[in-house]
Amino acid sequence: MVGPIYIIAIALGLAFFLGFFGKSLKDVSAFLMLAGLAFMTFISGQWLLAFFNGSVTTQEIFTAGFRPPYSINLRMGYEEAVMTTMINVIGFLGGVYMFKRLKEVGNSAMSVFIVLIMSLNVIVMTRDLFNLFVFVEIGSIATAGMIILEKNSKSLQAGLKYLMATGVISGLLLIGIIFAYYFAGSLNIDGIITAHVGVTKAGAVAVFLIIAVLVLELKPFPANGWGLDVYQSAKPGFGAIVSAATATAGLYVLYKVLPMGGETWYPYIVLIGLITFVGSNLVGTRQKDANRLLGYSSIGQIGLVMTVIGLQPILGSKFSFIAFALLLNHYLAKAGLFWLSGIIKKEKISDWYVLRKNKALLILFVIFIFALIGFPPFPSFFGKYELIMSLVSTENIWIAVLILLGSFAEGIYMFKWLGDVLKDEDQTEESLNISWNKFIPIVIVGVSLLAAGFYSTPYVEGAHYFYFIPLGFIVFMGLIDFLPAYVKNTLSIAGMTYYSYIIYPLVEGDLMRTIFFVIFMIGGILTLIVGYNKKGKREGFYPVALMMYAGLATILTSDSMFGFFFGWELMTAGSYFLIIRGKRSKPHAYSYMLFSVAGAYLILLGFAFAYTSAGTQDLIALKDIAVYTTLAYTLLAVGFMTKTASLGLHIWLPGAHGEAESDVSPMVSAILLKAGVFGLMLLFLYMGQQTGETLLFVLGWVGAFTALVGNLAAVFQEDAKRLLAYSSIGQLGYILFAIAMMTQLGWLAGFTYVINHFLFKAILFIVVGGIVVRTGTHNLYQMGGLLKKMPFSFVAVLIGIITLAGIPPLSGFAGKWLFYNAVVLKGWYIQGVIVFFAGSIAFMYAFKLIHSIFLGQLKDNHRNIKELSPAILIPAYILIGGIIYFSAYPQNVLEPIGNMLSAYFPATVDWSGDGLATTVLSYWNGNAVLIIIVTTFILVLAYLKLITGKTTKLEQFNIAYSAERPFRPETTHVSYNMFAGLNKAIGFLIAPGITRFWKNISDMVLDLAGFIRRLYSGNGQVYAVHIIIYIVIFYFISLG
Amino acid sequence: MDYSIQKFLWTLLGLFIVLNWGFLMGSTMRRIGARLAGRVGVPIYQPWIDMIKMISLRTYLSHGVLYYIGPVFRLVGGIGMFLFMPVLVGSEIWSNYSFSGDLILLLYFQSFGMLGMALGASESGSPNATIGISRGLAQFAAVEVPMTLAVIAIAIQHHTFSFSEILDAQQGGFMNWTLFTNPLASIAGMLAMLGAMSHSPFNLVKAPNEIPIGPPTEYHSSFLSVLRTNSAIIHVVEAALFMNLFFGGADTWFMYIIKTFFVYFISVFIGMVFPRFKIEDSVRWFLKWPTVIGIIAVLVAAYWK
Repeated sequence: MVGPIYIIAIALGLAFFLGFFGKSLKDVSAFLMLAGLAFMTFISGQWLLAFFNGSVTTQEIFTAGFRPPYSINLRMGYEEAVMTTMINVIGFLGGVYMFKRLKEVGNSAMSVFIVLIMSLNVIVMTRDLFNLFVFVEIGSIATAGMIILEKNSKSLQAGLKYLMATGVISGLLLIGIIFAYYFAGSLNIDGIITAHVGVTKAGAVAVFLIIAVLVLELKPFPANGWGLDVYQSAKPGFGAIVSAATATAGLYVLYKVLPMGGETWYPYIVLIGLITFVGSNLVGTRQKDANRLLGYSSIGQIGLVMTVIGLQPILGSKFSFIAFALLLNHYLAKAGLFWLSGIIKKEKISDWYVLRKNKALLILFVIFIFALIGFPPFPSFFGKYELIMSLVSTENIWIAVLILLGSFAEGIYMFKWLGDVLKDEDQTEESLNISWNKFIPIVIVGVSLLAAGFYSTPYVEGAHYFYFIPLGFIVFMGLIDFLPAYVKNTLSIAGMTYYSYIIYPLVEGDLMRTIFFVIFMIGGILTLIVGYNKKGKREGFYPVALMMYAGLATILTSDSMFGFFFGWELMTAGSYFLIIRGKRSKPHAYSYMLFSVAGAYLILLGFAFAYTSAGTQDLIALKDIAVYTTLAYTLLAVGFMTKTASLGLHIWLPGAHGEAESDVSPMVSAILLKAGVFGLMLLFLYMGQQTGETLLFVLGWVGAFTALVGNLAAVFQEDAKRLLAYSSIGQLGYILFAIAMMTQLGWLAGFTYVINHFLFKAILFIVVGGIVVRTGTHNLYQMGGLLKKMPFSFVAVLIGIITLAGIPPLSGFAGKWLFYNAVVLKGWYIQGVIVFFAGSIAFMYAFKLIHSIFLGQLKDNHRNIKELSPAILIPAYILIGGIIYFSAYPQNVLEPIGNMLSAYFPATVDWSGDGLATTVLSYWNGNAVLIIIVTTFILVLAYLKLITGKTTKLEQFNIAYSAERPFRPETTHVSYNMFAGLNKAIGFLIAPGITRFWKNISDMVLDLAGFIRRLYSGNGQVYAVHIIIYIVIFYFISLG
Repeated sequence: MDYSIQKFLWTLLGLFIVLNWGFLMGSTMRRIGARLAGRVGVPIYQPWIDMIKMISLRTYLSHGVLYYIGPVFRLVGGIGMFLFMPVLVGSEIWSNYSFSGDLILLLYFQSFGMLGMALGASESGSPNATIGISRGLAQFAAVEVPMTLAVIAIAIQHHTFSFSEILDAQQGGFMNWTLFTNPLASIAGMLAMLGAMSHSPFNLVKAPNEIPIGPPTEYHSSFLSVLRTNSAIIHVVEAALFMNLFFGGADTWFMYIIKTFFVYFISVFIGMVFPRFKIEDSVRWFLKWPTVIGIIAVLVAAYWK
């Protein structure tokens, strides 16, 4: 085994010799540099491997044969092996990445670079304070050198500011070291720790200075203006080194020095870390410069890891995993993002759309962003989950809340950026110029992130490798993305069918899960069939669609809260990409994501309370949460309601569903929304009526008003798909209201609505989506008279709206009947009437929809329009089959559900053999009603036929209209502002107050960020003063 | 004879009676209205003559399949409402098909005919039809609010949605009628009825006199005869619905005719007195006083429960 001392020897030797190489030997020297870095990586890597296998123990390396305190000693333990490997890997990859640039600048740059990497290695390994000081200095000077190597005024300024700041900092460090030596009689860290220097007041000052300086090296918010300038003006290739390698070393030093002061210092580190994480991310929300944005994010992430380091005493055995997962995640993702920035060469984040020119880079970018925010399957997801669980279970709720707030703030700008990249109009002709040496390092960190996520699995309770099976298939679908759409469609359907077959045993026997299984999986397959309608390749569609379904399947089958959350986030990610595919979806996908992330964090907190109460990740923990009961259940309910788009949390839905592609709308509307319902149902069952009395009462009102406002807004839409989207809000309001009643009838009504809404909304969105594509317009008033052109579509929509409006004899009425019974038995009369009013209003938009599309006047440009393709009609008619069956035999569906529910609620519905349903209030025989109505219909039709002779077919404009014969369909088709009277009367109810409310909140956040940002004046002296003030304040808080 | 066939024939007979009573009631009301306006009015047999005339027309014009079956939907809606409600209190043979559903079914089945009619008339492409429908739907939605409140108040009071049980509870003297046992619900319900009957002041939906608007505009001949058949039936059935809910129902055909006449007359009478509302005004009106009264009715009923 090669000793770690050779890392230093090789680096110093190389740096020395490179100086002798002339300009003519630049190629040789560059390869020598890489070889050196590679060898350094090899040394630390082999130690890591040995520690991993357990074949070595911690090694102390003494210089000059003396033991400390008489000599400097280095340590190579498991932790040091990990850290040095990380530093050297990024050093090597960075060397590869900057290969050409370093060669251009010359041998001196290579020397400086290799010295920097070496100094970071020593900082990690050394156990001697003065030695630490020396190498911190070397590192600082090397960093400044690397910055100043860029010969422009910005870099010069940044380098100067950096030197000023680090000068102040290292001065303080030196004073601290002198003090420490005076009190402890040793410069050895372990010696100082055992000397308990921090106990005396003067000794505490020494410890304070050392810790404060090491904290300042990590650029804590807000004394970090100089650090931000470094990120902004250094070459992105070097930014990656600063963000990934230097920060890794800095964090590790803080971690190893902290015990010097004893337990007391940990809380301050937590505080500083939190302020940095939240503050930096908050200010980042206003940032438009890509590299500076990455700087904010880096500092934020470092703050997060710092927080975790401070939390070490609290986290106990979980500390190593959490800290390492978060650090590694930041390290890989940030290196990748900086390197991407070097390829893109665009300062403004709004110019990053050029990334779309290279699919591989785009995917990598997405991976980095999602890893930073903490989505599965990346290590930060596992780390954050464990962190929040541990924090809440140790009563550190506020820390957890602040961490989630900081993460959310990071999401604000990261998803804004992602949206710009995915959707901004491409304004350039130039292609991306990517050389292999820049591309490969990014690929390596991207793949490492995925691998790291995979290997995080065993460290988290409730996590299974099983969850990665669908992800494997998704990756496979991504690899074959070049194939035509129909091939991938067939493969996707086959994959989903097979996966459904595998997971069915997991839901079998649980009727509630089986119902959602049918909606998620069978519904998913049906909506995929619609995809046969699409031509071309549909790049990127199938992986993300499958990701959403994989998430849904995981939610359904997981038995742990972790699994549920894993699936939930996976589904969110998949659906985000599905939604953003729409032409004008950028802002809507963005607000969808923000609501989803916020909702997910609420759920996470709720789960953490459950975990605290029950001590297990099993879903059963949600039953009888004993700590912060009301808060926990409320958080969970609100979290799930972000997905069901309940009133107040609904503003993302209309745009997201309305602007999505024609076959995506049914996926996200008919299917995805049910995930929220599933969550709520699960929650309510575990919570029980007693515990959640008040919450349920409030949710009942929320549901009622959601139904009213959603439906009323739908009436006034001119856009066909937005009408359906608002209708979803209303329908989900019914469902929330129904299940909040917590009675058997209420839940039966809820299930009826869940099933019906799935069936009719899928039909309506599939067909209307197809029509929107055919006619080339979303606007209802530009359609009209399509009945004769598209009779099959008409019948499908007709069945859909009859079910929607709850008109007997179709199954929609089953929901209404159950509703009436449930409302009167529960005693929620007034809320109930609001819901029934919403139902009457639903009838209005149902009519508007079918009239404006199919009836009225056919437009001239639609005269040659064709019926929709079978790929659209077949799934729609399969769903119609479902409605007809449910309408004719409601007992077959509702009786088993009722039986299942009687395990939770007193049974209130009886079924006789012939389909008659009875409650104490009412009775209804769906089967008989259907027969009576169909018979009467046939008889009356026969009568009309009998008394009517041969009819003459009328032409389009052959109507009586103000004694004129109209000839322009546009002026004769009544659709625009169809319900003007209603609008005048009660239109004020849907004034966009809630949208305005959220807009104001977001403005306030951005204004606050803008205000704080004024701290960064850009003046080096001011930044130096910041550092001093920071130290003073820190001093008074900690020791004063 | 087989029971189900017997049942069918009795129901058919009931339908026949109701139809003719609807015609007669309609022409009587028209005569009363004419007298108030100082005219003589139509002969009492006018509706039958109209029917014969319409059916005998030899020109049948159609805009398409939906236009053709629109009136069928409408008439099925009317007949269905008749079928799902018992005619006479406590009578097995005059109970129709009310065993398959109760008040809730009836409330929602109203929409069935409306929808079919709306679709049929819309297919003609006449703007007047759609304007009428849009007004009708808006008013219908508003009317539903006090109506639902009244129905819920009654359901709380009698603890049932079943017609036969609501009727049973009102037997034994007029003081047992809902009108007297639950006056607030009755007021809310009767105010809602004014809207449901679409007489003035709530007749902008059809605007019968000045401009021909509303769905029936586009129909003629046999199609119009079917619509007229329906309106005769539905006027009686709607009146019977309110009679059953608030006025103790009827135990003989004679009482049935008397009571439906007076219930219907209330709406006609008010229509003679008040001018017409614009749609936004009628929506506002229904959501104000009748709704407030309905809410109080529900709260009172819930309190006394």
